[in-house]
Amino acid sequence: MLEIRGLTKRYGRVTALDGATLAARPGRLLGFLGPNGAGKTTTMRCVFGLATPDAGEVLWDGAPIDAAARLRFGYMPEQRGLYPRMRVADQLVYFGRHHGLRATDAKTRAAALLDRFGLADRARSKLEDLSHGNQQRVQLAAALVHDPALLVLDEPFSGLDPLGVATMTEVLRERAAAGVTVVFSSHQLDLVEEVCEDVAIISAGRIVASGGIDDLKASSGRRHLDVEIAGAGASWPGSDGGLTVLERDGDSVRLLVDERADLGAMLASAQARGEVRQFSYGPPRLSELFMDAVGDGSSAPDAAR
Amino acid sequence: MWLVARREIIERGRTRGYLVSLLFTLALLVMAFVLPSLTRGDDTRRLAIVGAPPANLRSEIDAAVIRNKAKFVISEVPDRATAEAQLKAKTIDAALEVPADKSTSGTLTFQEAPDATIKEVCYEAVVIVRAGPDVLQPPETHIITPPSADESSALILATAGIILMFIGIFTYGQWVLTGVVEEKQSRVVEVLLSTIRPRDLLVGKVLGIATLAMGQLAALVIVGIGISQLSGQVTLPATTIGAVAQLVLWFVLGFLFYATAMGALGSLASRPDEANNAAMPVTMTATLCYVATIVFVIQSPGGVLAQVMTFIPFSAPMVVPLRVALSAAQPWEVIGAIVVMLLAIWLLFEAGARVYAGAVLSSGSRMRIRDAWRARR
Repeated sequence: MLEIRGLTKRYGRVTALDGATLAARPGRLLGFLGPNGAGKTTTMRCVFGLATPDAGEVLWDGAPIDAAARLRFGYMPEQRGLYPRMRVADQLVYFGRHHGLRATDAKTRAAALLDRFGLADRARSKLEDLSHGNQQRVQLAAALVHDPALLVLDEPFSGLDPLGVATMTEVLRERAAAGVTVVFSSHQLDLVEEVCEDVAIISAGRIVASGGIDDLKASSGRRHLDVEIAGAGASWPGSDGGLTVLERDGDSVRLLVDERADLGAMLASAQARGEVRQFSYGPPRLSELFMDAVGDGSSAPDAAR
Repeated sequence: MWLVARREIIERGRTRGYLVSLLFTLALLVMAFVLPSLTRGDDTRRLAIVGAPPANLRSEIDAAVIRNKAKFVISEVPDRATAEAQLKAKTIDAALEVPADKSTSGTLTFQEAPDATIKEVCYEAVVIVRAGPDVLQPPETHIITPPSADESSALILATAGIILMFIGIFTYGQWVLTGVVEEKQSRVVEVLLSTIRPRDLLVGKVLGIATLAMGQLAALVIVGIGISQLSGQVTLPATTIGAVAQLVLWFVLGFLFYATAMGALGSLASRPDEANNAAMPVTMTATLCYVATIVFVIQSPGGVLAQVMTFIPFSAPMVVPLRVALSAAQPWEVIGAIVVMLLAIWLLFEAGARVYAGAVLSSGSRMRIRDAWRARR
């Protein structure tokens, strides 16, 4: 279990983290969300000792993280994180050995991972000779080679094709199922909604929402109503009910409604306009929760990385 | 740390660049030694026969010249004084004086270094002319101003050593520089620093590359000594082993010092093309010391400037081996310089690692050294 408590980090006059607090549980995928410059990378760096927080602490299984604990962590930084001119298998062995594996174990693990990712025949190629997608697979393999108990990935899905996204998702889920604590940052909210159980949303250095995605949705006061009325066009619901129209597309409309809204009356009102083809009521999407939580915080300074 | 060093050795040792530079410098060295001996040009030797020699000496010399396939211009001078004047004026290379009664093998006089061919020719001729009981006695070789063979070849060795040192430090220092920037740019450094300390990463990198540089230096020294022995151009002085050992020692010290400085400064840059600018202060200082060494210290290796530069870590790697090779350094100076240098290297490891740690994880544009020093990670 990874706990981050009251983490504060300033770079000169820029406050990158301002008392960020969150927890990631083993066996679950935590999506770490936030606008650019909100403090995601800084938080990850604090976990790996690459940045020393001005205040607050990072705990692993209840204890402050030391060098020995860090050997059991796997980190995949945002860009590359590998030697372009080094052979693929050699890199994996090298990183494995840095994490305390013996040479023979590192070799075995590296070969197994390359096999798993279908890269066994490229083991002796230089990294820069591989396609972009394959380079990212190697990057993931490098973070996995020592079988870490905590896996932290910075934007693992950025730039992946659908196939790559599928592989990445599968591997992350598999690791989580094996009891690993997995944290990754992403801007692809729909993907996070699909892949993760938990999310933490950071804005301007503060965690503004965190917990299970379903819990967050349930506890959100807002509900959405999607209604499609054949031929009604823009005429429904009119302006009488004080309802907020979020999106309108032809005959479809998405409304923001209150938890206590009278759905029966609304359905009757809709049916009075024409044939109701869709009438669905539910919690907000993750992207809507995100926008709510972050508000206008996206103007956070970009230098805070 | 050793893991980092090992990677540098294996990965870089395997590159074509290393092998090419190794072969290239070896070729340069061979050429430097062989070319002059090929282009020496005029191989006509001028020998003067002094006074009244035995009757058949001249003809036997001519015969010996032919046997040796040499080219001689033979003249006759009336007395030894004339011969010595001509030797001094370098109108002749050697003067042979054999008594008419053949009682001794006579003397063969050179101005400076004796010439092997002249010696051989004169020996053969005198032996035949005398045909006596102690015929195998060669003419006594006499040298007017014996050149200190030790000194001149020591100078050549020392100068070559300094040049090698300068080139070596910069070639391999450049590797450290680009290696640091490459790791920073590719963010490899973030993964590595989550498992090891910045100091270990920097020092490991410097040590690994130092090992490769040593490999190349060792090859150069061995081949260089071999060639110089074969070509006979440089007679190795007795102090050679000590001088070479000092050269190697100071190469290591100088490399550790300069490469660490370059690595630390290189971490300030964010792109490879900025790295050279970032390392400029170090390269400028080193070049200054190099020029000062080549220009001034060689002139007076025992002078005040030389003594001062012995104890400055930036210049010591070039000044000390030079002074040792020229036998111009006191043992206490050498030991003191080594102590100062080791201390400086240790300090630089610590200070360099601090700058490195502050700078290498930053992103964005080039950092200033003060910011990197102050940056708490």
